[in-house]
Parts: sequence; structure tokens; C-alpha cells
Amino acid sequence: MIERIPSRQTRSRQVSRRQLLALLPVTAAGAEVKAPAWRKALPGYRYQFPRDHFSHPEFQTEWWYYTGNVTTPQGRPFGFELTFFRQGIDPVPSQAVWSVDQVYLAHLALSDIERQRFYHYERLNRSGPGLAGIDPERQRIWNGNWQIQWHNGDQHLAAVAPEFNLKLALHSDKPPVIHGKDGISQKSPGEGRASHYVSFTRLLASGELELAGQKLKLAGTAWMDHEIFTNHLGDQLSGWDWLSLQLANGTELMVYRLRRKDGSIEPLSHGTFIDTSGRARGLTLEEFSFTPSGRTWNRYPLEWRVKVPSLGIDLEVSTPMENQQLVSTNRFSPSYWEGAVRVKGQPGTGVGYLEMTGYDTPLNI
Amino acid sequence: MLRLFARLILRPMKSEPVRALLTAFAVALGVAVVLAIDLAGEAAAGSFRSSVETLTGDADLEVTAVGGIPEAVYGQLATLPFAFRLKARLEDYATLSGAGPDKGSVLPLIGIDVVADALELGITNEAGPVPDKDSVWVSEGLGLKPGANIELQIQDRPGTYRVGGVFKQKGQIIVADIGLAQRLVRRPGRLDRILVWVPPVRSVDEWQQQLQQEMPAGVTVALQGARTQENRRMLEAFRWNLRVLSYIALVVGAFLIYNTISVSVVRRRSEIGILRALGATRGAILAAFLGEAAVFGVVGGAVGLLLGRVMAEGAVQLLGATVESLYVSSRPAAIEINAVSALLAFTIGISISVLSAWSPAREAAGVPPTEAMARGRSDYLARVHQGRDLLLAAGLAALAFFASQQPPFAGKPFGGYAAALLLIGAGAMAIPAMVDGINRVSSRLLLRLGGIEAMLASRSLSASLRRTSVLVGALATAIAMMVSVGIMVGSFRQTVLIWMDNQLKADIYLRPAGTASADRFPTFDAALADRIAVLPEVRAVDRFRAYPISYNGLPATLAGGETQVIELGGGAQFVSGDRASIMQRLPTCQCVIISEPFANKHRLSTGDSVTLPFGRFEILGVYYDYANERGYIIMDRRMLLKYLPDPAPSNLAVWVKPGVDLDQAKLAVERAAQGSSVAVFANRSLRVEAIKIFDRTFAITYALEAVAIIVAVMGIAGALLALVIDRKRELGLLRFLGATTSQVRKLILCEAGLLGLLANVAGFLLGLALSLILVFVINKQSFGWTIQFHWPVAVLTGALSLVYAATIVAGLYPARIATRLNPIEVVHEE
Amino acid sequence: MDTTLIRFERVSKDYLADGEPVHALRELSLDVAPGQFVALMGRSGCGKSTLLNMAGAMDLPSGGRVLLDGQDTSQLDDAGLTRLRREKVGFVFQSFQLLSNLSVAENVELPLLLSGGVNARERAREALGWVELSGYETRLPHQISGGQMQRVAIARALVHAPKLLLADEPIGNLDTNTGDLILKLLRRIVTERGTTILMATHSPESVVVCDQIVRLRDGRIEAVEARQAR
Repeated sequence: MIERIPSRQTRSRQVSRRQLLALLPVTAAGAEVKAPAWRKALPGYRYQFPRDHFSHPEFQTEWWYYTGNVTTPQGRPFGFELTFFRQGIDPVPSQAVWSVDQVYLAHLALSDIERQRFYHYERLNRSGPGLAGIDPERQRIWNGNWQIQWHNGDQHLAAVAPEFNLKLALHSDKPPVIHGKDGISQKSPGEGRASHYVSFTRLLASGELELAGQKLKLAGTAWMDHEIFTNHLGDQLSGWDWLSLQLANGTELMVYRLRRKDGSIEPLSHGTFIDTSGRARGLTLEEFSFTPSGRTWNRYPLEWRVKVPSLGIDLEVSTPMENQQLVSTNRFSPSYWEGAVRVKGQPGTGVGYLEMTGYDTPLNI
Repeated sequence: MLRLFARLILRPMKSEPVRALLTAFAVALGVAVVLAIDLAGEAAAGSFRSSVETLTGDADLEVTAVGGIPEAVYGQLATLPFAFRLKARLEDYATLSGAGPDKGSVLPLIGIDVVADALELGITNEAGPVPDKDSVWVSEGLGLKPGANIELQIQDRPGTYRVGGVFKQKGQIIVADIGLAQRLVRRPGRLDRILVWVPPVRSVDEWQQQLQQEMPAGVTVALQGARTQENRRMLEAFRWNLRVLSYIALVVGAFLIYNTISVSVVRRRSEIGILRALGATRGAILAAFLGEAAVFGVVGGAVGLLLGRVMAEGAVQLLGATVESLYVSSRPAAIEINAVSALLAFTIGISISVLSAWSPAREAAGVPPTEAMARGRSDYLARVHQGRDLLLAAGLAALAFFASQQPPFAGKPFGGYAAALLLIGAGAMAIPAMVDGINRVSSRLLLRLGGIEAMLASRSLSASLRRTSVLVGALATAIAMMVSVGIMVGSFRQTVLIWMDNQLKADIYLRPAGTASADRFPTFDAALADRIAVLPEVRAVDRFRAYPISYNGLPATLAGGETQVIELGGGAQFVSGDRASIMQRLPTCQCVIISEPFANKHRLSTGDSVTLPFGRFEILGVYYDYANERGYIIMDRRMLLKYLPDPAPSNLAVWVKPGVDLDQAKLAVERAAQGSSVAVFANRSLRVEAIKIFDRTFAITYALEAVAIIVAVMGIAGALLALVIDRKRELGLLRFLGATTSQVRKLILCEAGLLGLLANVAGFLLGLALSLILVFVINKQSFGWTIQFHWPVAVLTGALSLVYAATIVAGLYPARIATRLNPIEVVHEE
Repeated sequence: MDTTLIRFERVSKDYLADGEPVHALRELSLDVAPGQFVALMGRSGCGKSTLLNMAGAMDLPSGGRVLLDGQDTSQLDDAGLTRLRREKVGFVFQSFQLLSNLSVAENVELPLLLSGGVNARERAREALGWVELSGYETRLPHQISGGQMQRVAIARALVHAPKLLLADEPIGNLDTNTGDLILKLLRRIVTERGTTILMATHSPESVVVCDQIVRLRDGRIEAVEARQAR
């Protein structure tokens, strides 16, 4: 049996959404004591698709992140987020149906920008009798009736919520982008403090939204992040800010900055630029700046400035909707802000998604 | 008007407080019993809303299946593209087996999907919403801290479990993660219920239909609460009969009100005459006497309300036990007394009082202004009308017979109730003639047997015939109820004993230890049964497995047994059909046998078929069964295993090889069962236990009888008191004529004794007639049991003697009053 | 043998009526010899009834003593008083006081039955014969006339052959003719059976059958007149 006393640091004030799963009772720290241990994200990883779009249960944590900006034919804008998390509890897989060697968390959010309404939901399951999971055979990732079904290289998103029903087909014109160097995206100094990080940076989304009895046709762009790791962050982080942008000129930019408890920015904070042909270029913190530039809402900075001088990028980021905070309804998951943003500046306009964690009241179990 | 009321009613009442109190208290007792049974019935029936429901609130739909839902259905439901909220449940029971005051109490054991539900339920362990292996959560009511140990017996297995966490919930509930719960209750791969909350875009009924179509065969989608409804429906007949039984005390009370008001009227005839002469209208007089009754009704209602609340506490215990052993596991809910029950109490109290006062009050209103008649006139009237009353009695009896021949209406034996009521009416009509006749015949005999006092007593009772008849009627009704229920229960008991002789032929019986209940079928390891089967001492075993099911909206039990083994001896006795051929066909055909209550409830008989979730089965025969009222559908074990492949038996019957010592065999079985917590009974002790349960079941009826008797006896005391007061001159005169005080006492006690005797005779006869209705009409139609008529001689003799003694005791106080009268004062001539 | 059947020695009787003390008898002394027919006369409330009740051992004096055939009534317990009454005293009342639900014979035999006497029915019949009511045995009281009722009452008072018969206004409820007949009957009882009668009355006509008239006033004897009875 596994010792289920959480390590000190997980109980304390780290409040990244992406660390949420570390709060579940089996911590990496605890698991490391026992053999066999979780596999770490190490340099030299060879990606193989479509296999690597699916599950890697030998790593402790894995997530699939879908965000996007879509509009109706009349131009009514919406933002959406659907996230699947997999968290390993026990590195020894169990055959029992109800075993909790893995748990699956999912978040769903919809931003109705015109009406300024934000819907968000959370769901936690074990795989159980088909409740949630990742099925590479059937190319499916699901948690209850929220799912991604791969079909002929397209990803079909479906999510049912009490207030709405969202169905989108996501088609990628560009190949998947592998972030970082040598197959890993280093997050903190030290071996294994890294993740395998893959994105679809420009997914053409089209589909349908049922909202308040209305069926709305939607089209727009989406972004998908898939990240695989085992305890990739250090102890010194207090949160992070992450931004993905799809610019009107057919390029994309992703930057994130890891905030340390002492107020400084982790030097390993990173970014990726993708040109129109889908070629990716990694950006180190020296190469870009990503800073708050004005208005805040509940401590969340809502206006940002992104500069990549070497690429001639200088963009002002703002959001059309203040409240896109996913408020936790329980004492286990933290609240965070994740929402649709607009950019303008050099080299033009664009849309994107911004995620800010660690601004909420520190978590205390 | 108010003054009239005060003068005519309140003042006399005040001058005889004991009698007024007795009357009011009699009404109060009647009201209290009715209220108590109502409250207790509600509390006992209301508690089917299981602890699970209180844990999650009300869902819209629930998914169930006989033998459990395949768990894949949960996954299937979870991925349907509808915004459902789902809760999967495993529901069973655990028995507290550790030391402590609650040892042996049975708690709900709920398996929940802790991962999916924990955040919402607020159930957590120290670290988070993920279950520890082998640890359980407990409700606050158990008073345990996280990390403590709790000893539980689940199914047949005792074990120690760690308390992983505590959740806010009243009462005592154990919660475990589904995976653990499945292992503990031995239902791998199964769920007992899935609660479904549906979005409001469609009606719940539409959702129900749509979901039902999505479900695999054998899985049922029903509106939530349907099960509670089913249980309530099942209990309806039981509650009805109890309710009717509780009204008997009220009927007895009605007799007494009638008597009290009659006495008032007779005594105050001249006063009424004067008042009428002074201008009081008939209406005013009528209202005044009805007002008197209403005063009794209000006081009785108020006291009855309080008393009923107290009595309900006791009644709930008794009822709970009965419901548990006959119907369904239930944990009595809190007794709720509210405006409705208060209204009920007062309505009952006042209406019964006013109704029973109607006739004497009308008589009072009919007193002409000129009248100042002496006592005796209305008694004379009673005598004059005897012939007519006897005719009426015969008519009522004939009607009663007719009513008793009617089939049940809406599943309830209304014909039987009507017949019982008509019979009581017939009794009331016939009693004056009987009293008079007996007195006339027996007066000289009494002189010889009981001396002059007995003769005087008899004459005095004869003289105030109307009053006497009412009293005899009241007591006789109570006695009749006692006798009839006594005969019914006695017959039932004897029937069950004989049935057990036939049915329980095995030598040793096994089942998981713990309290038995009609809908709880804990199982034990199939391997244990196999181990026992191959013991050298054992000839054969019958593995019996039962499942609670719902059939046509009513709870029932589906079970399988090993037909060939049962055939070793005894076994089922059939209502109809050839036993041998039934038992021969049962193992091979798509067939079942059903118990008599089941057949009755669903109007099925041999040759019909029952439709179960997994198929249609022909009914080979209907067999006698008295184990519980839910009713059984029984098939051969192999047939049952085909559809519900769980091999764990819930009961095991063991036949010992001829020549093997029974104690030795039992020892061997117990040794084989070591490590699992099963109860091993020798045939004899199982019967003893069964009869114990049977007796416990009828405890409530005994209590109801006792109250009716108490009411009647109180009435006797009050009426004798009135009689003493009305005849004080006569009693004083006897002293002048040389009577000692003890002779006067004896006279009054003789009157009490005579009343008791007359009531016993009348009550016995009436009770005999009522018992036939109870046994052959009401019981048969309500519960579907065939009961053979038996005389419970000892019980009846004992009970009747007790009642007789009680009536004499009721005469003690009036007798004391009689001996204390000053003869000079009471004979004093004006 | 004592020549006194009943003796009052300085008998007083006080009681409370509505909280006020009432002196019913005040140190009254009186001797009645056996075989005497004594009339007690006086206004209502002069103590006649009290005196009768005390003579019949139904009541006890507050002061002084009452000797009935030599027995001091104050010395006896309830059972003793009842026994004395059963043996020696018969009562006749103004309103007859028959038990309405008993037949004539049953009324008459009542004292015998109460005292456990034998041959009750026979002796009752005898007593009824004596009061000339043979043949009325099975009648109920409401089926006979007032005078007949009083004769039944007299038969009842005589059935156990008491030495003393106490009559409280026996003709108060009867018309003159019937009353006269009852008085004659009483006289005959004294003369023929030697029974002593103490009769409270306030009708002057009734004293003609008496041997002695005792006039009472405010609980005291005002005068005692002996007369030749007719």
C-alpha cells in the first residue's frame, strides 16, 4: 500500500492549475520513495505520432488542453476551454475496475463575450467502468461526456454542460510543434524538472453550440497543448502566466513566465514562435518580454505587453471580458484565470488565450 | 344559552369530577391510540427514504436491476451526451460487531464513487478525495475520529476497518468507496442503484422512457421514490389493519360517551322539563347536551394529543420490529407531530363524542315541558323495544354476513371491515335483550349462588337496563376485539407451527449472523457451502439465494433453491397442484413456484406466468408460506444462476446423514464455518427463533387490545359510580333493613362482576364471530395468508379471566363510595 | 327481666348543618316499656326522627346513652349495631321505601336474606298474610296502591319478628281512610304480637291508637301523656 501523506510543499502555497494534480494524495515526493518510480521527462525523447497524442501512464501527470476563439456567422464571439488531466496515483497499474491508480480531472469553460457570461465546470473521475480515460486504440480522450475523438487526423471535441452543448471539429493545417530542446521543455534547473510538451498551434475549429435553447454555428481557431511530465516544477514557484496567440498573419506565438516566490521570474521561462509554414523557433527569456501593462481585476493583470524584438513583435494584449476566472467549488482545486484575449500592434492583430495562476488566495488544506 | 349550558351541564359535571374525568380520559385514550398508531405508522413507513437519499438529496430517476446493475451501465450513462448528474450506489448493511452499547445494531453500508462524489459530499480523508484502501468513512453520529478503528460484520465476514474520515450526517451510516464496497458485500462488478438527475429540457417521464430504452435488458429506470412508494404501498394493508384496530378503542369510548350523556339526561329529566317550561327551546337543550359531549371531546382530544405523542414512541418500536421482520428494513424516522395531527386528534375526539351523544341529546330535547318523570321511564322504553332491537340485530348480522362475502376493494378488505362494524352494531342491539333475559333467568340462581347481594345486583342492573346494556356493549366490544384477535393470532401461530413442521425438514440451518429482515439477504461465501456439503456427516445441502425485487410496483423476493435436495423431505405444501409433479418439473422447465401472499397480491395462480426482467416463467404452483408478506417467486437454483450468476447463498439448509449425532454434525458445520460470521441453527432453535419473531410481530396488537380494555374498564368504573350515586337511597335503606357495610360493598362488586360476566359472554360470542371475519376475510384479503382456525384455549381463558378481574377491580372505588354513604342522610325524607 | 325495652339516658345529639351547630336532642331521657305503642309528637325539626334513628341503632348520641333491650348502642361497632338492628328493630317510613325492582315478597324477605335467615320466603308469606296481602307476593311495588305499599313495608318490618318497630310518619303519605287502616294495623301488631312501636307523627288523629304520647320541643321532652288506647 502506498503512503498517502502529502509532502509539505504540496500542502503549502503552490497554486498553479497545472500543479493541482500534485495536490492529490499521492505525491511525486511520496511515490519517489517507492519503487518503481514514475518516469521523468529527460532529454532525447523521440516523439512518435499519433501514439504520443495519447496517454503516457509511466509519467505521473499528463494533460490535454484545448482553448480557442470562435464566432458565429453573425460575428458573436465565444471563447472555450476544455482540459483533460491525467494524474498517476500509483505507478503500478492495477487491473481492478475501481482502482485509483490514475485519476482524471477535467475542466470545461465557455466565455460568452457578448453577454459577458462565463460558464465553467469541473469533473473528477477514475477510469472505473468506462467513466474516463485515454484510449489510444479508439483514439479517444474522455471524461464522462466530455471528449476528444480523433478521426482521420481531425480532433472532434464534444462537451455537455447543464447550460450548453459544444461540438467542434478541429483541423490542423500545421504539424504538431514540439517545444523546448531535445524533446523536453525545461521548467526548473535539475534533471527531470521538465516536460514533454507538444502543441497544435493553429487548429481550424468549426461546429455548433447549443446555448439557452439556441443552436449557433461556430468557426474560429483553437490551440491544443499536450504536456507530459513527472513533478517538473521546483519548490520555488508561486505561479505562472501563459499566453498563446494566433496572429492574423498566419503565425503563432506562445510565451510563458514562471513566477518565483521571491518575486523574480524563473530564467528558464520560455516561448515558441511558429511561422506560417509551421516551423517553430524557441525563445529564451532573453529573447522576449512578457509583462503586465495596466489594468488588473482581482489581482489578475488583464493587460499585457509582449515583445520579441528579434522578430519585430510588439503586441498589446487585452481581454474583452474581465471575469474568466475558473472559481474552485471545493477545497482541493485552486481558482485560476483562463480566458480569451485580443492583441494588436506589430505585426498586426490576433486572438489568443491567457492563463494566469497563483493570484488567488493561497491554497491551504 | 351559555348560562343554560353552565347550569345544566357544567355544574353537574363539577359535582362529580371523578366520573367526568373518567369519561374524558376514556375519550383521550381512544384518541391517543388512534393518533399514536397514525404517527407511528407514518414514522415507520416514512423511513424507507434511505440514508442514501438524505446523503445526496432527491434525484429524478433511479436505475436498478435484480441482482445488481452491471457496472458498465454506469460508464455508459456517464458518457451519454446529456447533462445528467449521476451517483452510483452500492447499498447494503453492516453490523457493529465490536464491543460497545450499539453492538449488534445494523447500519446502512453505502458504497459510493468517492472520487466522483467526494468533493460534493464533503467526504474526505486527511489528504484528499481519494480513498484509502480498506478504510471507510463514518457519519458523525457514530462518534468516531479519523484514524480510529471500527469493527464491522459485513455479510458473513467480521473485520476491522480504519475510519478514513468523518462526514456530516445525522444517524449512523458507513460509507466506503464502491470498489471496496463491492468486495465487502461480495457483489463484484455490480451496482445497486444509479441516481440520475436530469436536465429540465424534457419532463422526467420522458427522460425515464428515453433512458429505459438505452438500458440493457434487466435494468430498470424508475422515477426516484418509486421504491419508497412501493414500500408504502406494500405496507398499506398492514397500516390499514392497524388503524382499524386502533379505532376499536375509540368505539369503546363512544359507548362510554353515550352512556355518560344518557345518565345526564335521565337524571335531569325534571330539570329539563322545568327549563323547557321556562322557555328553553328544544334546540337549546340539544345543543347543551351536545355541548357536554363536545367538552369531553375537547378535553379528550387535548389530552389524547399529548398521550398519543407519548404512546407513539412505544408504538414505533413495536411497529418497526414488525415492519422489519415482515416487510422491509426500516429505520424509524422521527415522530412528527404537527397541526394536522393536532387537528386530527380534536376532530376525532369531538366528532366521536358529539356523534355518540346525539341520540341521548335528542331524547333530552324531546322532554316535554310538563315532564318531571322519575327514572325508569327510558329504561322501560329499552325493555319495550327489545323485540324491535333483536330484529334489527338479526338484520345487521345478516348484512355483516353479506359484507363478509365481498371481494377486496382496491386491495383492502372493506367488506371485512364493514362486516366487523355491522357485527359490533348487531351485538349492541342484541345486548339489552341478552342482559334482560339472562338476569331474569338467573336472578333466583344468583340468590342461591351469590346471596342476596348478587340477586339485588342483578335486579338493579336489570332495572337500569339501558345503562347496563351500553356498558356491557362497551366492554363486550373491547373483549370481542381481544377474543377475535386472540383467536386470529392463535390460529395464525398454530398454522405457522404446523407449516414449520412441514417446511423446515433440514437438520441444520446456516445464514450470515445478525438481525434478520424481510428484504435483507446477506450472503456468505459459496466455498463455505461447498465445504459443508462434503463433510462426512452431511447428506445434502440446499443452497438458497434470495434477491429483493420489485414486481408490478410492489416489493417481492426472488429466490432459488435446490429442488432435488428439498425433495429429501417435507418442503413446500401447495395450495393447489400436485406436489410431486411440480417438484419434478421445476428444475428443468422455465418455471417458478410462488408463495400464497404473492399469488394473492398479484392475482396469480397455477398456469399463469410471471414476467421477470430476464424472462417469462410459468407458475407451476402456489405454495403456503408464512415467512413474510413480501411474497416469494422461487425457481430452481440452476435456473436462477443462469440469469444471476452469483453463487453465494444467503441461506443453507443441511441434511445430516442418518445415524449421525446431530450435535456432532452441528459442531462439524460450525468448525467448517470458522472465520466467517454465520449463525448456525439446529432445526429446533430455528423454529424457536421463528416463533419469537412471530410473537414480536403481534406485540402491537396486544398493546392495542390492552388500551381498549382499559378504556372499557374505566367506563365500568365511571358507570358504577353513577349507579351508586343514583341509587344511594336504596343503598341507605338496605342499611336500615339490616345490611352491613360489607354487604353493600359486595352488592356493588356483584354488579361489577355481573357486568363483567355479561360482557365476557357477549364479548366472547361477538369475538368468535369477529375472529371468523378476521381470519377468513380481512387477513386473507389483506395479506393473503390461509390460516387454519384454532382455539388458543389457554390464552383466551387467561385473557378473559384477567378482564373479569379488572372489571371487579373497577367496582372497588364505587363500592367504597357506596359504603361511605350515610344512610340517615340518603334516606332522609323531604 | 328488665321492664324497659328502650332507654334514653340524658341523650344529646349535636351536629353541624351548613356550618351551624344544631342541637337535635338536649339531654333527653325516656324509658319505653315492652309492648307499648308510643307516639312522638312535635313540630318539624323537634328531634322526632333523630330520636327514632337512635332508637333503631342507626345513629349514636353525642352525649348520654341509648340502651336497646339492655344494650348500650355506643358500645357497639358497626357490625354489632347491624346485628342489633337485624334482631330487634324494624323500620317503617313515610314514603314506604320499597325497592321498586323487587316483588312484594322479595321486598318483605329482604331483611331475612340480608341477615342470612332461613325459610325467608315462607316467613315473608306469613308476614304478608298478617298484613292481609296474601296473593300479592309477585306484584311489583308500582302495581299496588299506597296503602298496600305501606302494608308491605310493615310486613317487611315485621318479618324478622323484631321487638321494636320504628315508624316515621307512617301515614303521612296516605289519605285519611287508608291511614286509619294502617294505624289499626299497627295497633294490632302491638296488641297481638306484643311488639313495641315508636311512631313519629304530627297528626293528632293518629294518637288514638297509642298508649303514650311523648311531646318533643327543641330536642327536649315537653310532656309525656299516658292514654287508654282504643
